Amino acid sequence: MNTDPMVVRDLFAGHYFLFAFLASLGTLQIAVSNAGTRGLWLTPHAAMTRLLGIALILTAIAVFFLQPLWVDGPWAAGSVEADSLSRDWGKASWDELAGARNVNDIHGGLDGVKQTGWFSLAATLALAVSAIVGTVSVKILNVADKSSDVDVTDPNVGGLEGLKNRSYFANLPSSLRNFRNDIGGLWRDELGKADRWSVVRMLSRRGDSSK
Amino acid sequence: MNSLDTSIVIWLNGLSGNIKIFDDLMRIVASDYLMPLVFSLGMFGLWFSGKTPAQRVMYQLTMLVGISALSISNVVVWLFNITLERPRPFVEHGDQLNLLFYPPTDPSFPANPVAVGFAAATAAWTINRKFGWWMFAAASLFGFSRLYAGVFYPSDIVGGAVVGIAIYGFTTYFRRFLEPMITSFVRLIRGLSAA
Repeated sequence: MNTDPMVVRDLFAGHYFLFAFLASLGTLQIAVSNAGTRGLWLTPHAAMTRLLGIALILTAIAVFFLQPLWVDGPWAAGSVEADSLSRDWGKASWDELAGARNVNDIHGGLDGVKQTGWFSLAATLALAVSAIVGTVSVKILNVADKSSDVDVTDPNVGGLEGLKNRSYFANLPSSLRNFRNDIGGLWRDELGKADRWSVVRMLSRRGDSSK
Repeated sequence: MNSLDTSIVIWLNGLSGNIKIFDDLMRIVASDYLMPLVFSLGMFGLWFSGKTPAQRVMYQLTMLVGISALSISNVVVWLFNITLERPRPFVEHGDQLNLLFYPPTDPSFPANPVAVGFAAATAAWTINRKFGWWMFAAASLFGFSRLYAGVFYPSDIVGGAVVGIAIYGFTTYFRRFLEPMITSFVRLIRGLSAA
């Protein structure tokens, strides 16, 4: 029996990352198919992209919760009733599968902070994969929406709006250019509108008065 | 109040052991991994869901407030935990409960997972009522499963929900003190084509 929390944590981290990545990719596909953000679609069609998104989420849940059936871990005998420290190391049985993942973080489960870290990485990877595959769709399969009112040649269109008709990599330069051009004015405008107790506003006033 | 709390958790937990598939479903819902990921995915999905630039900015600012509310909820729950140090139901009434979950070592009041769930659900509800109600349902189910499993009292669940909603309200108000940093941050992400 192996109950070293570090070993359990490494095992959980890998499994959780795969779970979060597949589920994030699925969620992203559903969201961008509804919003018409073609530059991030994994398939050329909205309905297919949405279905793929649902399938990815269901696969993620199934894989994560069924994995103890074929992967050794702290979920053999006693996984349902016992304290997570006193469990046997091995594969789970169908009877004890539902409780297999319920491992206390002090015994190697992932606490909230670690989950947040792994989820952030997984979501970023999901976005990167969507951007790369979406580029293939837009460039090679030419799935850009010709009826869209977004002008592909307009350099002022950037961000997710630009992705409605452009690939991520075609959209990035105009997004960055817009950011560089707009950020100064945006900062001044928002600072002007900010609450009088805004920390930034108070600091900038203190800076002005000390000059 | 305490006796009512105890009676409810003992009665509800007493229903376990009759229908195995329902117990198993509650064990999965009560897991540390499923529902917290559902809340995170809800916020992640809403970030990309706006159909117009104006709607997108509103969604994204709300999601940033929601994420901040989740973090602050954790701190507030921890402060309650160390102040009140309410023992878990299975510690006080272990002989009358059939524990379906591992025995957590932190105090019971308020329920941290429920606070986090309700903070996320409130954020979603403010911009999309229908989706927000689904998130509230998920957060409530999460709370129910932990109650059924015998690791929280009903008042812990209610307390967690109140903390989550209140912290979201506080964080929304608090945002004004951090502008224009928040709006500029969203603009930066848009510069990277992700907002």
